Amino acid sequence: MTDSTDWQALIQKHLDGRCTEEEVAALSDQIVNRDAVRSDYLKAARLHGVLGDETVELNPKVIPFSPPTPKKDLRLQPIAWSRQLAAAIVTGAFVGLTGIGVVWAMNSPRSEASFIPIANGDFQSMTGPVEAGFPNRFGYWSGNPAEVVQEPDGNRVLRFLETGNVMGNPEGGASNCSVFQLVDLTSLRRQWEADRSESQLTLELSARFRRESAPKDADLPKLDASVRIYLFQGEPEFLSSNWPNVVREADALGKQAIKLNPGDEAATISTSCLLNSEANLALIAISANTRMGRTTPIELGGYYVDDVRLTAIKHPVLPVRFVK
Amino acid sequence: MPNTAPNSDHEQFTRLLLESEPVMLRSILVSVPHRADAREILQETAVALWRQFETYDPARPFLNWAMGFARIETRRFLSRESRRAQLSEQAMEVLEQEMQGTQEFDSALETHLATCLGKLNEKAQRLVRGYYHEGHSPEILSQRENRSVEAIYKTIQRARRELQACIERKMNSELA
Repeated sequence: MTDSTDWQALIQKHLDGRCTEEEVAALSDQIVNRDAVRSDYLKAARLHGVLGDETVELNPKVIPFSPPTPKKDLRLQPIAWSRQLAAAIVTGAFVGLTGIGVVWAMNSPRSEASFIPIANGDFQSMTGPVEAGFPNRFGYWSGNPAEVVQEPDGNRVLRFLETGNVMGNPEGGASNCSVFQLVDLTSLRRQWEADRSESQLTLELSARFRRESAPKDADLPKLDASVRIYLFQGEPEFLSSNWPNVVREADALGKQAIKLNPGDEAATISTSCLLNSEANLALIAISANTRMGRTTPIELGGYYVDDVRLTAIKHPVLPVRFVK
Repeated sequence: MPNTAPNSDHEQFTRLLLESEPVMLRSILVSVPHRADAREILQETAVALWRQFETYDPARPFLNWAMGFARIETRRFLSRESRRAQLSEQAMEVLEQEMQGTQEFDSALETHLATCLGKLNEKAQRLVRGYYHEGHSPEILSQRENRSVEAIYKTIQRARRELQACIERKMNSELA
């Protein structure tokens, strides 16, 4: 159990009696020592208790369900979820990128997070190949050759098929298979503007990866998987026309990678970046990378991804100390 | 005590217990999330309450008195059962101490649960209803839905997270 453990997920597992002794011991420790985990646990358990109360009417009020779209989903949904350490690390990472120096958070107060559904983050409403090429509008997946496949249990996941150059440049790099989505941050920013002077906003991207054996595994000794998030000020079409050089103009970025061996247990990784500029859109990417300087595509096939999630974390402006 | 208590005592006890049971069950579920186990504890608490009902002071809230018994029965149950991994004693203590601090959330939960359920997708609504209201196990639901047990758990857990987020959003918009 590390600080990057998804405690909310562990709480949910515990409510269903699915945790191991070790996991419950770690969760107990967090409940005792971290206000935010304790608060989250209490709320989740209260909800579980009310749902389990036969006297409570569970028939939902008739409200037409509208599938999530990025613009509508970008709302701040406060959840008590302390991220002091994460925020400090994120702040440090961002400042590190800009070359200012080392930074850490001191005695930061409570944070609030929102779980933002992105378009088809769980791939349940998709099937077959994803659209080819770099996305030029919000709210859909597109990129290198990849497909959504249905597992025997009915769950759908994305499978990376082949590396390629997403801009179709035959002389460009083809070292990875990436699938992208553009997310409109306008609504989120609007809600955040009101208390911007008192708070910072972090966007966290996470995804769960799994790897199975594939015919070309022997040719791919360094194959890994990653999540990336970039924040930009601009229009989708501009990004689409200027990828990948436009990366230099990103206001913030975050990346995390993991190397799995075929048959390893599935793993969730996450990365974050601060939304403290005028960025109005996020580009999120999930990839399988060969780590080889190739210009010709190579078949992958063994990496799968599921549960891509984007979370906005609002935290009070951190008292930070800079060290040159 | 039960054999000698007048009928009026019995009626009063039954009324008070019925009023308090839902709250007691929800509180027990915080420490012991497994619903069958929680109901077993609730049943044993009811027996203990009846045995000690003559010591109950009607001037005091019944629920507060009863919750003390529920805590004891919970500990007793956990010390003799090890069917599932359990929270530490210390964790349960801090949770019990802070339960009062969730009143705003509890109130929002009562008010907005049905609305937030309505915002879940159809599959999630069906599974939440099957798991909780109809009391089906994930194994039964997996057969009914033709999906793996793992996928059923995953959907239910995701639905609860979405419900919690929805309720908190509504609670905060009311407080704003």
